[in-house]
Amino acid sequence: MGSIRDYFGNITSALGTTAKGMSVTLRHFTSEPPITVMYPHETKPVPPTYRGMHILEQEKCIDCHLCAKACPVDCIEIEAEHHGRKLEWEKFSIDYKKCIFCEFCIPPCPVDCIHMTSEYEMATDSNDDMVEDLLTWTGLRPEDQAALDGKPTAVQAKKQQESKKGGADKAAQIAAIKARLKKGS
Amino acid sequence: MNALVAFLSDLTGLEGVLPLSMAYAVCIGSLLGFITVYAMFAIWMERKVAAHMQVRYGPMETGGWHGWAQSVADALKLLFKEDIFPSQANKFLFAIAPAVVFCGVFAGFIVIPFAAGIQIASLNLGVFFLISIAAVEVIGVIMAGWASNSKYSLFGAVREAAQVVSYELPSATALIGPILIVGSFQLGDFNTYQANHGWLILHNPFMPVAALCFFISSLAGCKRAPFDLPEAESELVSGFHTEYSGMRFSFFFLEEYASMFVASVLMATLFFGGTTLPFNIGDIGNWATYAERAAAGEPSVISGIGDFLRTHLGIVVLLLKTFFFIFIQMWLRWTLPRLRVDQVMALGYKYLLPWGLVTVIGTACFEAFGWGWLPH
Repeated sequence: MGSIRDYFGNITSALGTTAKGMSVTLRHFTSEPPITVMYPHETKPVPPTYRGMHILEQEKCIDCHLCAKACPVDCIEIEAEHHGRKLEWEKFSIDYKKCIFCEFCIPPCPVDCIHMTSEYEMATDSNDDMVEDLLTWTGLRPEDQAALDGKPTAVQAKKQQESKKGGADKAAQIAAIKARLKKGS
Repeated sequence: MNALVAFLSDLTGLEGVLPLSMAYAVCIGSLLGFITVYAMFAIWMERKVAAHMQVRYGPMETGGWHGWAQSVADALKLLFKEDIFPSQANKFLFAIAPAVVFCGVFAGFIVIPFAAGIQIASLNLGVFFLISIAAVEVIGVIMAGWASNSKYSLFGAVREAAQVVSYELPSATALIGPILIVGSFQLGDFNTYQANHGWLILHNPFMPVAALCFFISSLAGCKRAPFDLPEAESELVSGFHTEYSGMRFSFFFLEEYASMFVASVLMATLFFGGTTLPFNIGDIGNWATYAERAAAGEPSVISGIGDFLRTHLGIVVLLLKTFFFIFIQMWLRWTLPRLRVDQVMALGYKYLLPWGLVTVIGTACFEAFGWGWLPH
């Protein structure tokens, strides 16, 4: 079957290909820095069109329920009492167990008060915690939230931020989201 | 061992069997401790090497610095896991199989020459003992596969049985060359010889071939990739130890890494100078000086710190070489895909065995006639 030439050819090709493969793995081992992103310590930037958790500009909202009606999975619950033109808020909650992050709730809003952020860290210890009340949730990571302490509303924060021209926070995020939406339309 | 018995006898003032059993206990305890710590380090190292070859980090969190405590955490976890016996398993064989597997490789450690005076048993048939005791492990593997009463385990065991016939012969024939040159089976003599005459890998043109043959067949002996057919994660779940859990499973793991160590030590001692440095730099790890002093009747006398270091730095040299070969084993594992059963057989019988015999005959002729025998 196999000739002498095949026999020695097998030996040389086996040694040669092994050496080649080993040189590749050694190059990876020695000279290529790991491409891993050490996730909890560092995060990859998300694309600007990312659809993460929602953020609400409570002062602008007129309790029209259009977003809740647009929602295909009925995950938005809104409760507010009307005192003339003033609103007394009780609840604006999104059930993230149901939410499919389709962004259908964003376009219907007549006053452009609900947006989607790039926040995706939604792991919780219980099912109940998956229901987020947007009246209290600011849509920012804890470190940014700490920086925003004492600034209860988004609009106030935005105004302060515009005067300071600081780093990323809720207001800047909202501004960025709005700019993106305007560009799209 | 004898020195230890004498020391314990002096220390306690006891005679006869008591200091002997104490010496056994000390040796077994220190070896177990060494193997455990080494295996933890080797597992961590394997994960890091694997990770960096795949351009990622591997364990980074446990223990702070580069996940150094990952293996410790894993070992603790395994200790606390439930020891599950499959209901249809043969309880007795299932229970003792990990012990048989581990004993086979553990017994091999007693002849490893770490440094002059640090060798538990200086057997006259050291190499022979090492090869034959390592084969006991195979019995344990087949036991485990049979007793588990699971098709995957049995497949793994059958593959191991098929593999053992194809790697034992080449590995034994590859070792005959160095034994012919040194003229001794005693592992310590290899260190003495190589301190005086240079490393055996450079002794004659057949030695590199023999070293390569031995290294490849020792990979198969350790069930390492590309010869990990008995485990074959992608086909057989995890082969012969599929049904094992907890501590019994970790004994198979310990055994794998311990046999890697034994194979690498054998490689380093027989071909790469053992405890000595190249060109015998600093006379480090030369067993002759120790043997001469032993012959003069003062086995444990240390004449000075220089002599002490010269003898015992041999451990460091040997461990460095050993870890180099362990690294190559890991490197190969993350480079090559697994061979088929028939490919392992072909490699063993058609390639390694003939070339091993060529090295035996060539080395014998070389020893008999010197360089003049070769065409030049």
